[in-house]
Amino acid sequence: MTRSPHLVERALWWGPGIVVVLVLAAAPLLFTDFYLSAVLTKALWLGLAAVSLTFLAGYVGMVSLGQVALYGIAGFTMANLVEADGGSAIAWNPWLGTLAGILVCTGVGLLFGAIASRSYGIYFLMITLAFGVIVYLFFAQVTQLSGFGGVNNVDRPDIVSNPVSDPANLFYIALGTAAAVYVLLRYLGRTPFGLALQGVRDDPSRMRALGFNVPLLRMLAFGLGALVAAFAGILSVWWNTRISPGSIDLPRTLDVLIIAVIGGLYRLEGAWVGAIVFTVLDNWTRGIDIVGGRFNTVIGVVFLAIVLLSPGGLMGIWQSITDFVGRRFAGTGSSPPEAAEESAHPS
Amino acid sequence: MRDGSDGGRFRLWAFLTVLAFLVAGIAAGCGGDDGDDEGGVTATTTGTDAEATGEPLRIGIFSNNEGAFAPFEGQTWGGAMLPLIERGATPASDDPTDGVENAVIAGRPIEIVYGGSDSTPDSAVEEARRLVEQENVEILLGPLSGSEGIAVANYSKEQPGVTFVNGISGAQDTTLKVRSENFFRFHSDGTQWTAGLGDYAYNELGWRNVVTIGDDYDFPYSQIAGFVAEFCAIGGNVTERLWPPLGEEDYSSFITQIPEDVDGFFMGVGGTGTVAFVNQYGQLRGNLADKIMGGIFMTDPVILEELGDQVVGVVTAGMTAGDSEEPAYLEYAEGLGNAYADLEGTASSVFAYGYYTAMEAIAQALEEVEGDLSDDHAAFREALANMELDAPLGTITLDENRQAIMDNFLQQIVEDQTGDGVPDVQTIKTIPQVDQTFAGFFSPETPSPDRTNPACEEAEPPPWTVQGGGG
Amino acid sequence: MSAVPPRTLAVRVLIGLVLAFVAVYVGYKAADDPRTFVVVGLNGLTLAGLYFVVASGFTLIFGLMRVVNMAHGSLYMLAGFFALELQKNLTGGEATSAFGTSKAGIGDWIIPLVVACLAVGLIGLVMQQVFLRWNQGQELRQALITIAISIIIADQVLANFGGVAENLAAPSSFPETVSLRLYDISYPFFRIFVLLVAIAVGLALWAMIKRTRFGMIVRAGVDDRQMVSALGINIQLVFASAFLIGAFLAGLGGVLGGTMISVNKGNDTTYLLFSLIVVIIGGMGSLAGAAIGALALGLVDAFGDVYLPAGYTNYSVLLIFALLVLVLAVRPLGLFGRPA
Repeated sequence: MTRSPHLVERALWWGPGIVVVLVLAAAPLLFTDFYLSAVLTKALWLGLAAVSLTFLAGYVGMVSLGQVALYGIAGFTMANLVEADGGSAIAWNPWLGTLAGILVCTGVGLLFGAIASRSYGIYFLMITLAFGVIVYLFFAQVTQLSGFGGVNNVDRPDIVSNPVSDPANLFYIALGTAAAVYVLLRYLGRTPFGLALQGVRDDPSRMRALGFNVPLLRMLAFGLGALVAAFAGILSVWWNTRISPGSIDLPRTLDVLIIAVIGGLYRLEGAWVGAIVFTVLDNWTRGIDIVGGRFNTVIGVVFLAIVLLSPGGLMGIWQSITDFVGRRFAGTGSSPPEAAEESAHPS
Repeated sequence: MRDGSDGGRFRLWAFLTVLAFLVAGIAAGCGGDDGDDEGGVTATTTGTDAEATGEPLRIGIFSNNEGAFAPFEGQTWGGAMLPLIERGATPASDDPTDGVENAVIAGRPIEIVYGGSDSTPDSAVEEARRLVEQENVEILLGPLSGSEGIAVANYSKEQPGVTFVNGISGAQDTTLKVRSENFFRFHSDGTQWTAGLGDYAYNELGWRNVVTIGDDYDFPYSQIAGFVAEFCAIGGNVTERLWPPLGEEDYSSFITQIPEDVDGFFMGVGGTGTVAFVNQYGQLRGNLADKIMGGIFMTDPVILEELGDQVVGVVTAGMTAGDSEEPAYLEYAEGLGNAYADLEGTASSVFAYGYYTAMEAIAQALEEVEGDLSDDHAAFREALANMELDAPLGTITLDENRQAIMDNFLQQIVEDQTGDGVPDVQTIKTIPQVDQTFAGFFSPETPSPDRTNPACEEAEPPPWTVQGGGG
Repeated sequence: MSAVPPRTLAVRVLIGLVLAFVAVYVGYKAADDPRTFVVVGLNGLTLAGLYFVVASGFTLIFGLMRVVNMAHGSLYMLAGFFALELQKNLTGGEATSAFGTSKAGIGDWIIPLVVACLAVGLIGLVMQQVFLRWNQGQELRQALITIAISIIIADQVLANFGGVAENLAAPSSFPETVSLRLYDISYPFFRIFVLLVAIAVGLALWAMIKRTRFGMIVRAGVDDRQMVSALGINIQLVFASAFLIGAFLAGLGGVLGGTMISVNKGNDTTYLLFSLIVVIIGGMGSLAGAAIGALALGLVDAFGDVYLPAGYTNYSVLLIFALLVLVLAVRPLGLFGRPA
């Protein structure tokens, strides 16, 4: 049934992709230091957090609201292990702290995945949300690890440099991480493991009947999501040079959900598309008075509109456009659009 | 999705809208480095004013427009605008956050750039960065909340070319520990606000054994630290410190834990918990007025109205005195009410007063250097550091960490005398020129106030206590 | 299911041991200071009553419609603010909520209660009719829609209501405390009242579901929606009423909680979390589950504050997490949950 995409249709995917890659590669030359750091680098690590959700939602059908809590666990673990103001301040080597942060986060992800992986759909969403808020409360209340004020001046590896005065290094690190994660996740989708995950998404009972250990697969997927979220957490701490409970509270959790949904829950690229739209909108509306302090109402309405009008998010819209154009060029023979999206919808 | 293709047109429409946002945003971002971008300016002078001959000076102001403290944004902005209005500017509208028109200080037109954060350190630094790095402000006034202040003071070290003046964030560490060369605070911190209470408890009320109870985060830590430092220094004993977790609203199980035989307790519950705490205490333990001390939020007009007569007699302390009859204070209070009708009666709010003293200090220092910041702010900062600010409630000077030394006011809630049905607040004692260290008790080396610090031990009594020769 | 796999058995033994340890520890503490034990136990029970009222609305909506209303906490918060504003208007700002000084007549409390609950119920109904009705069956999308609405409500509340947390005043005709004739305890009357209301709500809901025609349709609808429609019953009307009642209960919780604890801008997150935990423990859609879940949460909350070793009370949130994990490890759908 699959229709081989028309050349024009392909060009509509590859063209913008190449432009984006070129612009990003040359970004330190094109943008101010501030814009590079405060908008683009932020969008890259926020996109990483969002893609961990997009991956879980799109490939495995697990819409998780625990990703921000997980990246917080990575960030807090690192911040407590390296030299910093506040927290345990054990003063490990920053790389060691980073590694520990990633490992702890992935470990917690696997453990929590083991518990939550037996729940499906909306149940899973609720459990991960409860998990997320509890992690926030934990760090807000346990003053030995963070306390309300958080951990400041977290030490970072030399290569990160100073994210304010010399933002290009961190930008390229974030870009490299994002690209690597993207390629890895794309590749994963074609491996037997990835295919099994998609099978679990579409029909868990059939997969079980076929002899797959469904809870194990889901647990591993959640652990992988936690690993990706851990990268986002580490980068966010390097970028902020601090972490506090406020970095992982419910509004932040919802921000990442909004980013993933605006970009499109069913395509990995959507995470970064959503992130760039979010950070640009945020930066832009801060300066103008018509929106004033009511940014959240605006973003809430945009979010509502996207959910109501375009469940595939911006990537879904782009898909419709390319399909439309492709059909025009290819004549009438066409398949139903958004096949991937259709099957990806967990309900 | 089941809505199939009929949503296609909507999607296209939505997509184009967002695309438009995106393009505009990037355009604004790219334009930011020219320095002539006015995208963030809420109030600019037109430059037609005859006196305004100098280069415009951009001052960024930010407080909280989201998060728990957002309702106080108007008060902070009102306080910050008043010094400009006193110098001839006119409010742009009834809303203080709209800024002022024709503001001039020392011949230089002032451009106010609006900012706002949500009380988290991350958002405060992001906003500070935007104002400094994108909007190119030369002086930044803010932030509002405690943990924001520590983060912004740290950030100020990255920007030696910009002068930072704190808004009303009250953490001790901001100036005592971070000690950034270009970060100034013209109001006392949360610990200084309790000066005089330990002395009163020990010498006037005769308390010896006290329990403290406070929400488990940094503002109550600094409040309780101040009380413990003073009360224990002169011989008092803090037998237990109870810390309801942050976000707890049902204090009943913690109230149950307060021993019945203590002389009294110091309450450091935050603004969101004060009413709940006092009412729950009343229900579980009966009258509390002779048992409780502290609770800086109890004198807030809204809270006081809620609590009513049951708190008559309670003594608390703070850096403002709403009952002051000093002409300077009356003039300040009247000025605030005249400029912004909504702010009538909020002059004693620490939010308004803190931002007011900050902007007044900026203005006076600018006048002293005649608006000349060309020496990388050196003379301007010198003027700030050595200033004797004649504030409405007494003189404010800075110590070597650029932290305010100023009067503190011991206040008692008394029965209603004005006939509005709400108890009144009466200043019963002025503690003169309280410094941040409590006579050396706190230093950059002492641990930051937390659940167990400072320890309760006898020490050199602060000069304002009876034992220290004051009183 | 007759032969228990060894892994499950091990989990059960472990949980048994944990529960036994908790029981012994609490028992030891209770023997040490029975008075505190009773008061804290009452604190937990009354808190559980409040949680139940809120969560029963949440679970009712889910049970029938499979809609997870993420704006449930926002409705709770809105009701509190509506009632507070109304009460201030009715009493001309005179009704200080404080102990012993309440000047609010019975109407000054009842009228705001009824109006706020109806208003919030109506908002819930509109939400369902405008946004959720035509997305029936798309659980995720409905959850996202309610999340969007909760973001907007939170921001608007921030913009329109005052800065400090306040209390609703209980009617002055209510006694302040009741004497328990046990260890000389006098306990706040209103907290007991909340517990009684919770029991009444529970019984009423139970009776409605088991004894009325409406309840019969609801029960049938939970099991097989299509069949009910095929029988010529207007299931949409049933859905709308259920949403109205669910939102109304959130509002009732908001007014009771606003009187017992406080009306606060952070309430939406807090009570959404509590509702989630209660129904995750008890099982979505189950009334009995909501009662058990509320009881567990309320008691763990109250005793955790007191019986954790001094200096570690800030770890009490971990107890709630442990409770959640414990239940999910044994029953992924909650204690009374059934597969959809």
